[in-house]
Amino acid sequence: MAEPIVVVRDLYKEFHREQIVIPVLMGIHLEMNAGDFLALMGPSGSGKTTLLNLLAGLDKPTSGTVTVVNSDLGTMWPGELAKWRSRHIGFIFQLYNLIPVLTAYENVELPLTLTRLPRKERDQHVRAALELVGLSDRIDHYPRQLSGGQEQRVSIARAIATDPTLIVADEPTGDLDATSAGEILDLLERLHQEFEKTIVMVTHDPNAAARAARLIHLEKGVLVDEGGPVLTRGEPA
Amino acid sequence: MKSLKYIWRNVTRNKLRTILTVLSVSFSLALMTVLHGYIAMQSVWGTEAKKNNRVVVMNIQGFSGAVPIANVDKVRGVEGVKSAVPYSWYGGDYKEERMPFAQFATDPKEVFNVWDEFSIDPDQLTAWQTDRQGCVVDRQLAEKRGWNIGDRIPIQGTFLPLNLDLKLCGVFDAPKYTDSLWFHWQYLDEGLKQMNSFGSGNSGTIFAKAHSAAAIPGIVETIDSMFASSQNPTRTQTEAAFAQMFADMLGDIQAYIRYISLAVVFALSLVAANGMAMSMRERTTEVAVLKAIGFPRSRVLKMVLGEACLIAVFGGILGIALGCFVLQFLHGISSQFFPIGMADLAGPWLLYLLAIAAGIGIVSGIVPAVRAAQLSVIDGLRRVV
Repeated sequence: MAEPIVVVRDLYKEFHREQIVIPVLMGIHLEMNAGDFLALMGPSGSGKTTLLNLLAGLDKPTSGTVTVVNSDLGTMWPGELAKWRSRHIGFIFQLYNLIPVLTAYENVELPLTLTRLPRKERDQHVRAALELVGLSDRIDHYPRQLSGGQEQRVSIARAIATDPTLIVADEPTGDLDATSAGEILDLLERLHQEFEKTIVMVTHDPNAAARAARLIHLEKGVLVDEGGPVLTRGEPA
Repeated sequence: MKSLKYIWRNVTRNKLRTILTVLSVSFSLALMTVLHGYIAMQSVWGTEAKKNNRVVVMNIQGFSGAVPIANVDKVRGVEGVKSAVPYSWYGGDYKEERMPFAQFATDPKEVFNVWDEFSIDPDQLTAWQTDRQGCVVDRQLAEKRGWNIGDRIPIQGTFLPLNLDLKLCGVFDAPKYTDSLWFHWQYLDEGLKQMNSFGSGNSGTIFAKAHSAAAIPGIVETIDSMFASSQNPTRTQTEAAFAQMFADMLGDIQAYIRYISLAVVFALSLVAANGMAMSMRERTTEVAVLKAIGFPRSRVLKMVLGEACLIAVFGGILGIALGCFVLQFLHGISSQFFPIGMADLAGPWLLYLLAIAAGIGIVSGIVPAVRAAQLSVIDGLRRVV
């Protein structure tokens, strides 16, 4: 059996607001195998985004370990983490967070500029990613010239351009209408099924969670259940 | 190099803010260019003057004293002196213009032996030498003013109570534009005598041409020794030293100019820094995204600093170009006060000014750059999420 690529052991995370200590995650254990599509659900303040940030190497645990592709993220320096993220993590944000002064092509190329790939290969990666998300005809468009759904698809292209080990998506459909959200979820599902990408998705939306292969439910920083999809596709929330 | 496109797009992102910042930097650099150019001009003038083997004799009290005209012949007799002429600055007004060009009273028979690098048509020179009210002018000055041979050129006295009614007899060619008019010293002297005015019988300075550079130290010593015990002792110096004297007259003003211009630059750096800080504050989320996808701190720092420097260097280039244009313009309209054009003035001091422009960029960008580099990704993303 293949080794899991994500291993979380006894994870605690606290935030400090002046003198007050706010526990956010309390004793999380989690494993993910390559090719998993995991949905994280839970009410606001339950710790979903905090867990996502820890898995993506954006934050460090208070205690416990987060190991992704054999790297213990808690022990790495900021510079190491930045380099590690550029190689292993693809980000999809709720508000897309594209760079407004760059075209769709340039936004997708951005993470590739951190690699040693020559220009020609970067171009191939960018075009392939935009082709995959169905935006080959919009490569020269700026974010302001795209719809919300198209912006999110560019964001997905940016996330996959470097072929990362893990894609983390924070409420990827949270700012979209139902049609656009459906298209984005189709795309994520395709990345999972056809390209066997490993995806962690935070969502409030049970319909979105239903697309994932696994569901984790967080309640006040504690993993309360883990199982298969709670809803089948198309079922009302 | 991979970041240049992104830096450039950020520079042009808020065009009005960038234009205003560029203009503020360019204004300060234009001011500095003119001030430093004027200082450099004195230095270049001195360097140019070294080539001519000329000495200048003036009263030991400086321009407040005069040199008796009889001394001209005595200077001519000094060993090593090729020729010598009286040379008095008149400083008159032309029509409604106040001292628009330089006017000197001199000896037409000898002046082209002292300035032997100048040339004039022999017939025109003869015409000038034989006409007491005649004058000759720099060819460029004649062309600029539209003067032709035979034209009358009336000059009103300013500090001397005598008006001149001159007739243009010829134009001379000089290696560099002199913005000068030469007329008979005797015409001036006779007019002053008739009015019983001060200054008659004297010359402001005496210019002498040496046979060689090697002869100059001896000439200087001989002339000053010769007049040391007279009522008007002299101070003789090379033309280069004479030029340097004008720079020295600025004295501490040069230092003040530098301090004031640096203070202006520093103040404008803070203005630019404020603009840069505002720009970066608006882009907090973008910076967080860049860092999230793996941009290291050093690269974020370089990108923000690069942006600030690019804006400042643009402003610097624009300002230096504007300053050079102003200096050239001033040289064109008033070579007596701005004797060196930009073709001869350009030098390392312009690179120094460009370095100052880059310095403005670093000063204005360093704080926003460090803050961007140190930004917490999570805090940055939380701003909008």
